[in-house]
Amino acid sequence: MTLRYVQRGFVYALLSIAAFISVFPFFWLMVGATNTSSDILRGKASAGGALFANFSKLIQQVDLPILFWNSSKIAVIATALTLVVASLSGYAFEIFRSKLSDRIFAGLLAMLSIPFAALMIPLFVIMAKLHLINTHTALIIPTIASIFMIFYFRQATKSFPTELRDAARVDGLNEWQIFFYIYVPVMRSTYAAATIIIFMANWNNYLWPLIVLQTNETKTLTLAVASLLSAYVPDYGVVMVATTLATLPTLFIFFVLQKQFVQGLLGSLK
Amino acid sequence: MAQAPNKTTLTSWLFTGPALTLLAFFMVYPILSSLWMSLQVGKGMNFSFGGFANMWRLTQDAVFQHALLNTLTLLVVQVPIMIALAMLLAVALNDPTLKGRAIIRTAIFLPCITSLVAYSVLFKSMFAVDGVVNRFLEALHIMDQPIPWLTDTFWAKILIILAITWRWTGYNMIFFLAALQNIDPSIYEAARIDGIPSWARFTKITLPALKPVILFTTVTSTIGTLQLFDEVNTITLGGPANATLTLSLYIYQLSFKFMPSFGYAATVSYVIVVLVMILSFLQFLFARERRRT
Amino acid sequence: MSGLKLRNLRKSYSALEVIKGVSLDIEPKEFVVFVGPSGCGKSTLLRMIAGLEEISAGDLEIGGQRMNDVDPSKRGIAMVFQSYALYPHMSVRENMGFALRFAGVPKAEITKQVDDAARTLELGALMERRPGELSGGQRQRVAIGRAIVRHPEVFLFDEPLSNLDAELRVHMRIELARLHKSLAATVIYVTHDQVEAMTLADKIVVMRDGLISQVGSPLDVYDSPDNVFVAGFIGSPKINFIKGVVQSVSKTAVTVSLPGYGDAKIGFVAKASQLKAGENVTVGLRPQHFGATGKLKFKLNVELVEHLGGESFVYAGNGNGDLITVATQTGRGLKTGQKFEACIDPTKALLFDAAGLRVR
Repeated sequence: MTLRYVQRGFVYALLSIAAFISVFPFFWLMVGATNTSSDILRGKASAGGALFANFSKLIQQVDLPILFWNSSKIAVIATALTLVVASLSGYAFEIFRSKLSDRIFAGLLAMLSIPFAALMIPLFVIMAKLHLINTHTALIIPTIASIFMIFYFRQATKSFPTELRDAARVDGLNEWQIFFYIYVPVMRSTYAAATIIIFMANWNNYLWPLIVLQTNETKTLTLAVASLLSAYVPDYGVVMVATTLATLPTLFIFFVLQKQFVQGLLGSLK
Repeated sequence: MAQAPNKTTLTSWLFTGPALTLLAFFMVYPILSSLWMSLQVGKGMNFSFGGFANMWRLTQDAVFQHALLNTLTLLVVQVPIMIALAMLLAVALNDPTLKGRAIIRTAIFLPCITSLVAYSVLFKSMFAVDGVVNRFLEALHIMDQPIPWLTDTFWAKILIILAITWRWTGYNMIFFLAALQNIDPSIYEAARIDGIPSWARFTKITLPALKPVILFTTVTSTIGTLQLFDEVNTITLGGPANATLTLSLYIYQLSFKFMPSFGYAATVSYVIVVLVMILSFLQFLFARERRRT
Repeated sequence: MSGLKLRNLRKSYSALEVIKGVSLDIEPKEFVVFVGPSGCGKSTLLRMIAGLEEISAGDLEIGGQRMNDVDPSKRGIAMVFQSYALYPHMSVRENMGFALRFAGVPKAEITKQVDDAARTLELGALMERRPGELSGGQRQRVAIGRAIVRHPEVFLFDEPLSNLDAELRVHMRIELARLHKSLAATVIYVTHDQVEAMTLADKIVVMRDGLISQVGSPLDVYDSPDNVFVAGFIGSPKINFIKGVVQSVSKTAVTVSLPGYGDAKIGFVAKASQLKAGENVTVGLRPQHFGATGKLKFKLNVELVEHLGGESFVYAGNGNGDLITVATQTGRGLKTGQKFEACIDPTKALLFDAAGLRVR
């Protein structure tokens, strides 16, 4: 029996340390936003009085409303388009299976292993030829047909009851009507999870925006935070305020829709 | 055949059409284009056909070899640690009698919602020479000298490993938790009645059931680490002395810093493709071997 | 109401043929049950009639019109699915009116039709609920209601009762029979449960391996099966098959001896049979046909008795390895190991040749 208690104690200790390490940086972020840069670098882990000063420095250095608007606009449009395009094709790859479509799908999965680094130069050249550099269009279009999301929707479609499709066909719906009137509402939670995943990926996207967006008016919040950080002597107080602002929306969405988020990740594993 | 299948086939291509068109332009074409580019030499927009000149350059390029070595070092050290940690935490969390399970799970999962840039900010500031981490270590009397996390070639690598592990362990843990919950509890009850000791229950029941997840998380983590860019570009900028220069970062530098050398950059990026293919293949092979024995 | 004509229907998935040429006439207002073991093709055949599966070859006529390539919604059919297939995001009312909405029926008319069907099925109180809030039996009734609303010529049922518990299944069976009478519609009903088939059908279609094994009224199929498969599939407990050898053949009769039971002899009336003396045959004896009297007697030892209350099933053998099942109303006192004499009227016995076909 004592052995059991020792084991228990060990498990709790392990989990507590892991939880502490996981959460501490968030605490550090919030506290850091209230401290001066030198306090932060000195390791001061208690709240200070510099929040207002940091914030006013931040809005002097960057155009916060524009950054928020750019980030939100890109994330919302990209998410909506990705949902439509990826779910239509993911559904079709599962429902209208043929030898050809299975082969194409296998080809898509193989492409998933190709690093973005291998594609970014040609993509940049395409965008340059289309005169889309420094536009949000250039940022959004390549992300819409996300192979990962197509895969995700195809996996999720496996749990869509075929008898519902049959019933809808007997009821006189064509394939498009079945998709929009039956599939979409029935798979609500799948869409909710996908929404969160896609939104976060777009909101947090860094490398591709860094390449195609070079003017201040087009930059996203994430890019602005990164450029504040890459200054020769970064003002950490300011960076922390900016990072807090950039993290709050995802944090909020995560806590509101935590369950769907986790289920969504798991949906891709089935 | 009747008319109906043709109609359905047409509809099915209309469903997949938008995605396939976009992928053709923004995935297939870039892949082919970069393959072609990798055979070109020259700077900026002046190309000429160079055949395998770029591949020859790889063997002469000390910076590339350094970046390759860095990437592989990170891979070999970081992925096993993270997968083992994720599995350990999942097994610990899987006990339904544990108090505060949901809160701990949420806490460990929380890092994976942060943007890569945000956690770079956090790690850069926490691991400053006089930063909170060194202060903490000094307070515990583990170190009498502050660790030069950002300026020492060895410690900078450790810092990158810590950062990636922090960000992705909880994410991988979720997959292990799901797989653990799919194991029928009555199997463990049967094993206990049969008098199987707890370590054998883990190695003979839990581990085999987790094998598909181990494979999945290892393959995805390997791909992720081979493509590592964001953290090294924002936390260490590849430094000090190229100690954290990864292949992706090197490609970025070749393409967009200095004088762009697109052809050579494309060649380097196919090194990553080849590595991903070899490693994924080896991991699948390994998984199959183990299944057979 | 329409009848159906199936002419040499075939269905294959690339090299695999699952329906191997089925021809059948279904009269208007008939209640036809497709029955057979799982994998026999009965559900596939139903789905071909519904238009949910392509017809690879052959002709399908509903109400005198060729329907091979007609959209499911335009065949004048309605279908009730095994899982009910109710749209989970719609209320009962929306579920029932959904097809009419897509057929362009005016709203007021839909409401009237749905309310009529709801009255027939006593669904009035449930109309605004979602399927997830209903019990299995209620969902079943909504699924039927959805079919009724469309006033189809032909109702198709795909194992509709298999997800219900035993008590509810009996209840719904009676309700379905009553509904069929009041609607006076053609019904095609698929099941693997022979009790459902026997109780509901005007006409039973026994299927096996993608082919029709026998078509007939329930009692025809029970009393006079065409082959070993049908005899074994219909009737519970299962019919006893006993190995026999042809002793002698005349113009109108065959005499068979049963080597496992002291060479007991049975005579069968058989006009123009192809049997020859010495050939192996199978004799079928239904457990229910045994009684206290009867010319043919088996001296057996009781191995096991199952008491069902009203009747008992006796499993008895004579040591040759086979057991004979006897259903009896007077077996309450029987115990394992006891001697037991089973008697049967030889005219009730069924004779099958070596290929499993009935000899008449």
